[in-house]
Amino acid sequence: MSIAPKPHSALLIVGHGSTENPDSSVPYFDHADEIRKRGLFAEVHCCFWKEEPSMREALYMIDSEEVYVVPDFISEGYFTQDVIPRELQMSGSSSVVRGKTLHYCLPVGIHPSMTGLILRRAKEVANGVNPAETTLIITGHGTGLNQNSTKAIRDQVDLIAASGAGYAAVLDAYMEEQPFIAEWDKMAPTPNVIVVPFFIADGLHSFQDIPVLLGIENEVGPAASQREAFRQNPHHLRGKTLFYTSAIGTERLLADVILDQIEDFDKLHKHQ
Amino acid sequence: MSIANELRNLLRSGVHRIGELELQTEVYGYPYVICHFEDAELSTEPAFGGLELYEGPAAARDISTYARDGSYRFTKGQTNLKNGWVMALQNEQELRLALDHFYPASLGLFLAQRNGTLETENLREKLNRQTGMYRFARSISDAGAQKLVQEVCGPGHLCLKRILWKIDDKTPLDDSEASRFNGIPGELAETEAIPLLCREACNHFVAECRRVAKDEFQKPAET
Repeated sequence: MSIAPKPHSALLIVGHGSTENPDSSVPYFDHADEIRKRGLFAEVHCCFWKEEPSMREALYMIDSEEVYVVPDFISEGYFTQDVIPRELQMSGSSSVVRGKTLHYCLPVGIHPSMTGLILRRAKEVANGVNPAETTLIITGHGTGLNQNSTKAIRDQVDLIAASGAGYAAVLDAYMEEQPFIAEWDKMAPTPNVIVVPFFIADGLHSFQDIPVLLGIENEVGPAASQREAFRQNPHHLRGKTLFYTSAIGTERLLADVILDQIEDFDKLHKHQ
Repeated sequence: MSIANELRNLLRSGVHRIGELELQTEVYGYPYVICHFEDAELSTEPAFGGLELYEGPAAARDISTYARDGSYRFTKGQTNLKNGWVMALQNEQELRLALDHFYPASLGLFLAQRNGTLETENLREKLNRQTGMYRFARSISDAGAQKLVQEVCGPGHLCLKRILWKIDDKTPLDDSEASRFNGIPGELAETEAIPLLCREACNHFVAECRRVAKDEFQKPAET
């Protein structure tokens, strides 16, 4: 990845954020720091739906007249298609808003380079475990609000199954729609199971809710930053050996995926 | 003029405070030094008076996220910024980055207000855009919202922001300590501080609206 520097443009990373969990916005700021260090943009900022600065406040903190807006979200869905364009008052792939040209890129989670990150994370957490005896489950939220929300995960399942990584099975599962992640042991045909949460942050869902659904914990525990000890893999549960990774978005290399989406935007819309 | 240059000019004109932060220039060779205003005197002593020194803006994230008791500062205008530290910054860009962590977008909002380009957003517009579990917040009564401002906002309730919004175009906020607060804590003149501006109700206020709306639904006011 070698995106050309854009010294007169700003990058605006959009995240969800939370008023309850201090860890929810950590990856977005990490990704911004990583990209800022590379000196590719005049400015790099974050904004949120549920934290400050809000999307409506964000343009006030930007000097540049050209702004690349990248949703640091894992799927195309309700937020990327409805909420973010509405909040930033964008009407298409490029919009002029309050005197600035906003380029709206696709969300990071649907970029093909996510496949490599998932495989890397799975290998790290279960190093030395034979893939042929292992099921890889990619898990997400799932929602009735938008059918696209699960598409990114299903696409990754297909890409990994076809990648030659050698896993006995590659499956998708969700918190709130079928197939349910709570039934991970029934859907996995192998003794080893790796579950990768397809979320940006180790926030409420991936760090607190899903461990309960998996059976790692009996009740929802404190946030990651407020725990005295971190969980240790593997977990011997329901007759299987379970490896549960951090959210895929906490991977620092996700910063590269943000840049990939900007490069793809320029190829598609600017004919560069 | 860039936001960083505007910031430099503000400091030269005598501005030295934003929220709970004291902004200082030329301290022991550092162009810019910021700290909690309660530590301002200490920070000018040799070795910064024993305050923990951070060089560069990176620590601003952690300092601004957790209060003195370790709790999550879910809105950055809260009056519980921890002290005991000092941050040395090499230029206006670093200072601006730090300020945008401590008080997100506040500098830009102030500059926009000063030049007449700040657009505010009334409570009804904000509530009507809520989704999911917060959708119910929009059913709060005007009276409930007015009362909530007096129970949640302003320095009496840990928030240092000046409220710029109304309930709707025709319904200004009732007069109260919260609605009168100018966004500058203490007795400082307006020429000495950048006020914290609340151009739209925060997410904490939206969550409180939802709570009150549910109470109102379950216990309708007696007629």
